[in-house]
Amino acid sequence: MASPATSQSKTAIGAVISVVVGILVVAAVGTTLHAHSNLDAPSGYAKVNGTIVAPDGKTYPHAFINDNVFADAADSKIHGSSGGHAGWPSYGPYINLVLPAHTYVTMTMHVYDGGEKLNTPYFASVVGTVGGTINIDGKNVSSLPNDGVQHTFTLHGLPTSSQDPLFVNVPLPKTPEGQQDEPGSPLPKGYTVTFSFITGGKGNYVWNCEYPCGDSTYQSFGAVMGAPGYMNGKVTVI
Amino acid sequence: MTTLTHNPAASDPATSRPVPQPKKSLITRLHMGTGMVVGIVFCWGTYFVLRHHFSSPYRINHDEGLTDSHNVNITLLASMFMWCLGFLIGIGALIGPFRWLIGKDLTAEEQLYLAGDGQDWKRYFRYCTDHKVVGIQYLVGVMTLLGAGGTMAMMIRTNLVTPGSHFVAPHVYNSLVGLHGITMIIALIIVSTGPFGNFIMPIMIGAADMAFPRLNALSWWVLFTAIPVLCSAWFLGGIPTGWTAYAPLSTQAGPGMNAFLATIIIFALSTAVAGANITTTVVAMRAKGMTWNRVPIFVVGATISVALAVPAFPTFMAAMIQTGLDRTFATGFYDANVGGSGWLYANLFWIMGHPEVYVILIPGVAALMEIAPVFVRKPLFSYGAAIAGFAGIAGLSILVWAHHMYMSGWMPSLNGPFMVTTEFISIPTGLLFLVLIGTMWRGRPWMKLPMLSVYAFIWDFLIGGITGIYLSDVPADNYLHGSMYVTAHFHYTLMGAALTGAIGGLAFWFPKMTGRMLNERGGYISFWLVQIGFNVLFLGMFLSGAEGQPRRVADYAQIFAHANLISTAGAYSVGLGALILLWSIIHSARSGKIAPMNPWGSKTLEWTVPYPVPLVNFDEPPVVTSDPYGYGRSVK
Amino acid sequence: MEHHDDEDLKPTPGERVKQVLKDRDVRQVLFFFVLFTALFSILGLWAYPRWMPNIMSKEMRGDESIMIWFTVISAPIAGIVLAFAMESFIDIQKGDTPPEDGPAISGHTSTVVIWTALSFLFCTVAIVWGMTEMNTWSQDAIAKESSAMVVNVTGAQWNWSFNYPAQGITTHELNLPVNQPITFNVTSDDVNHSFWPVELGVKVDANRLAITVVHVTPDKIGPFEVKCAELCGIYHAYMETNGQVETRADFDHWVSTVKAQGGAQ
Repeated sequence: MASPATSQSKTAIGAVISVVVGILVVAAVGTTLHAHSNLDAPSGYAKVNGTIVAPDGKTYPHAFINDNVFADAADSKIHGSSGGHAGWPSYGPYINLVLPAHTYVTMTMHVYDGGEKLNTPYFASVVGTVGGTINIDGKNVSSLPNDGVQHTFTLHGLPTSSQDPLFVNVPLPKTPEGQQDEPGSPLPKGYTVTFSFITGGKGNYVWNCEYPCGDSTYQSFGAVMGAPGYMNGKVTVI
Repeated sequence: MTTLTHNPAASDPATSRPVPQPKKSLITRLHMGTGMVVGIVFCWGTYFVLRHHFSSPYRINHDEGLTDSHNVNITLLASMFMWCLGFLIGIGALIGPFRWLIGKDLTAEEQLYLAGDGQDWKRYFRYCTDHKVVGIQYLVGVMTLLGAGGTMAMMIRTNLVTPGSHFVAPHVYNSLVGLHGITMIIALIIVSTGPFGNFIMPIMIGAADMAFPRLNALSWWVLFTAIPVLCSAWFLGGIPTGWTAYAPLSTQAGPGMNAFLATIIIFALSTAVAGANITTTVVAMRAKGMTWNRVPIFVVGATISVALAVPAFPTFMAAMIQTGLDRTFATGFYDANVGGSGWLYANLFWIMGHPEVYVILIPGVAALMEIAPVFVRKPLFSYGAAIAGFAGIAGLSILVWAHHMYMSGWMPSLNGPFMVTTEFISIPTGLLFLVLIGTMWRGRPWMKLPMLSVYAFIWDFLIGGITGIYLSDVPADNYLHGSMYVTAHFHYTLMGAALTGAIGGLAFWFPKMTGRMLNERGGYISFWLVQIGFNVLFLGMFLSGAEGQPRRVADYAQIFAHANLISTAGAYSVGLGALILLWSIIHSARSGKIAPMNPWGSKTLEWTVPYPVPLVNFDEPPVVTSDPYGYGRSVK
Repeated sequence: MEHHDDEDLKPTPGERVKQVLKDRDVRQVLFFFVLFTALFSILGLWAYPRWMPNIMSKEMRGDESIMIWFTVISAPIAGIVLAFAMESFIDIQKGDTPPEDGPAISGHTSTVVIWTALSFLFCTVAIVWGMTEMNTWSQDAIAKESSAMVVNVTGAQWNWSFNYPAQGITTHELNLPVNQPITFNVTSDDVNHSFWPVELGVKVDANRLAITVVHVTPDKIGPFEVKCAELCGIYHAYMETNGQVETRADFDHWVSTVKAQGGAQ
């Protein structure tokens, strides 16, 4: 028969092993959730190329970044070969953006989707860009009609002592109805939208689209709108 | 006090008399495995039929059929309910009703078989009507739910250790919050009434079993079917709502929400059945001589709790059914665009939601009131005040619900009246404290884990109760509503009071449920790790709430960083303590010290039966001549 | 003279109190009562002013005041309960058999009655305080209604926008002139949100196709934050924006800047 001391230490070992197993199980769950969080989704890095004098008279480094919006997630090429959810629009190729701090950032977007009406008319106005305008195929506008929007690029973040506020709202013009695909391409002509804004200091922000494209859900803000990686993402200013 | 030496072999029914074995028939071949097979067949069958239907070339817009959210919801909900029905058929739960349809019933032999007469460990995996088996099944089920909910809590706190949501993405975080909440709520509703209300309570009142043994097994297995349904939410994209599933966010939500709805509807069924069973048992099957003023306080508490649940949970079920209809047939109950309102949901939900937290609280407190006299060796102080406390809480709880809606804008003119009823509920709640401290006064308490739980409860519920008073004040709620302060408050009441009471109850009744003593050292280590960690965790949360951090946020501003770091540290201590408790329970159940028949010297009836408890509990029905709190030397 | 035996005389009230205080249990309870009451009172008086944000309105002042003083008022309740519990806890006995029985006290009617009466009194104080505060706020709102500036607040998944109908502008940041009564008309364009300008001490939910109203007069210049206090989907945590209480001159200047940019900022 085992002496009390041995069985006591056996019990203690059993306890330690059980606790370690428990911790490993929890860690496994955590690792899985972390992996599914897709925190390393494709990130676009703005590239600095020269400097520019802004309307406030200051000189900033000038960075450039591109992204697009597609009517069909398959065209974005970032949701796997089957294109993710059929029928969902998506930004692409970048969901997350990395921008340099204190920089004049010029973003160019090619946008291919149609649209109907915004839930909130405010998001049809251009806010937070240099000059308060966006350039659509060569023409500057400061707002779109409420029913002429396909998606928006709305950049915002927490008011916190650790970073500067940053807010940009860019409504993207909807592709005219019935526009055919370009020859040799699955995409219509769409529009090219260019706009610029000036980043502050380092910080973590988010962007989401404010156009309701989650068909057949309440206020069309479910489905794709609430799923990660299509109509929302992170913006990191470094 | 005499202690009977425990001898498993002597009281094993299998060796003491020959057991009639029913001939091999359908009933003897059914078990959890067959249930799962039939359930999965029904579930997948339904899924494929509906998928085919919605994508049928004969439907208009058949390309859209599979992507249309309503069709997806119909398909998933139907599949989940068919899983539940299939499982119940496969495990043999519906054999009785089927027999009635053809004018028969189960034979006496079959009923004894269902009661697990003479069977081994396999009866825990069958449709077994013995209340003791159901009690153990509930215990394992509760521990599983608490383990899953606790794991999710660790994830939540890990994500909040620093600002920036670096551990999981916001949609994963929101799912963690909502699913942690509902998992814990379900676990806590049944944490005391499930294991102890089933195993211990009938013995405590001198009965041979519960009033409806087959319904008892049904309530457990129905609950069991809800567990995979709830888990499936994770594989369907999670949920964007909290456990309160507010509409219209819940109608807007993706496929994972269906798992939540189905879980609640199934769970409400289980609770309704269990509630009816417990109430009838206590009303009709008490031993001779057990008049109402001799009923043990735990039995009273459990009965009041389930009696409160019976009218309350149907409104939650109704709210979920309406949400389901909005999500499948676009009915618009909660869609303001067609004349519905989210306020309808909020009212239905909270009419359930507030009584429900008292359904959770009362059995835990009642268990501690059962424990205190035993370990202080004094009678329960003012049995009448305890009853008045429980009854007052239960009665008032149905009049306070809209204190959760002070800031909703629904009906500001009713804020005042609800503030009055909510403040008044602190009067019967205060009586519960009086009963416990009155019982402790002038006593020499025995240091054992059940008694430690009483002290922990007093500290935890005091903080929980007083912070509840701040929240019930409408002007203060302008600041506090929707902040982490609320989260800290309800964790103090639900976890600090109800769960602590359940752990005390488990430590107390462990010898009767397993025949062994719970490992003391493991119990104490886990107790202190949990209680100290718990207080660090949620006192830190009062801080972040007072500072202005909203609740249910994956990320937060820099000023909340300190408070969150403190909270996360506390959480890890709780997690460690919980793992040690889990080990203690499993190790002790298998190889703990053999327990005497009445290790605590308690005077309630369950301690007069040996372990393993005989199938019908008592050789002869007991006769009760006094209340079970006859401790104490007489006072001059 | 008659000889009076001491034992025939009833003890005087003073002697009775002395007898009670000689009791060790009573002394311990009294000690812990004073200790815990003091601790909780100090907590209320010291902690909440430090923890809670800047006070920028009368309403916020009232909110903080309730947190402080309800803590102080409930300190004796916490004190007495914890005192009895602590006094019991320090007498705890280890061992494998139960300790000897205590006195068989199964009830004491006057204690229960006094306890219930005191609870009732405490509730009444809390209710009267709360009702008075609520009444003050609503009387204030009614009195200032005609001079109040209206701001229409719209919550949308996952941003706030503020429309100033009199000024004809819509912005994503909430600027307000100091000492100006404000009426917030709050609505949502989708799911439930909750409009929470933290330092102003008011809150109301935002509901689709409904307008919920809250009134406040900011009385201190400085920044504040607007948060969403109702889980509203994936970016609920990021549905926050800046607010600023400024002088009337600065506010008017801000309005004209926004208008110059087209009325939306």
